[in-house]
Amino acid sequence: MVKIEIDEEACVGCGSCVEDCPNDVYEMDEEKGKTKVVKEEDCMACLSCHEICPAQAMEHHDIHVAKRLYIDRKVKSVLDKMI
Amino acid sequence: METEEVKGTFKPELIPEECGGDIDDYEEALHVLMKFVGSMSSALEQVSGRGANAIVYQAGKRMGHEAGKLVEKTDDLEKALQELSEILGMEFYFEMWKPSGQDEYITENNGETVVKLLFMDCVVRQTLRRTGLPQKGPLCYLLYGYMVGAVEEVMDIKGKLDIDHVGPNACLKTLTIKWSGK
Repeated sequence: MVKIEIDEEACVGCGSCVEDCPNDVYEMDEEKGKTKVVKEEDCMACLSCHEICPAQAMEHHDIHVAKRLYIDRKVKSVLDKMI
Repeated sequence: METEEVKGTFKPELIPEECGGDIDDYEEALHVLMKFVGSMSSALEQVSGRGANAIVYQAGKRMGHEAGKLVEKTDDLEKALQELSEILGMEFYFEMWKPSGQDEYITENNGETVVKLLFMDCVVRQTLRRTGLPQKGPLCYLLYGYMVGAVEEVMDIKGKLDIDHVGPNACLKTLTIKWSGK
């Protein structure tokens, strides 16, 4: 099953992931002003939340990671050396 | 970057002994094709507007009907999807999906059969990301047409595929079967 971790220190509480998730996996924790995971079992690992999160505050574990053949391997190897 | 020209002898042959090229050549070809297809899709949209979706859908549907001919005809939707998944292969890897509160993958609704499909690996999505184009555009209709064409061919019924949600790692689509449309 998918496991989702939210880095509460990184989360800015913008609520973008709450709005974007089609399966209502997230909710806002009004007390903390941060996102919390409420329906992990409904996550289909589309990773829209990753794309929209301005703080890159989440991690998904145990998911099918889609192939990324669109990434140029030569460019990637140069970036790996730089970063 | 300098490219090395390969010179050799070419003889008429039934089965080529040598395909040539290493992984870098294939990668380069794949990326050129992605850029080419992305550029074509965007030009098509510019010229034909929303008609672009219909054109690409029709192309996909034709491919789907061809692919469906390779599968044994059946009335069992689950079996048909299983076989189509094998034909589509790992480049369009999909599974049936349901929310946790739902008991079965396949549900009935007003005489229609509905199943949600989660497309995890998709060459179309990769092409869009390679060329910086948004998802849900004309190219996504290729897969839409392909699935509908293949299901129609295998099950001899009418179907439609709606895009529920698109993401960078997976896309959720709803396949609706109209049994009365035989």
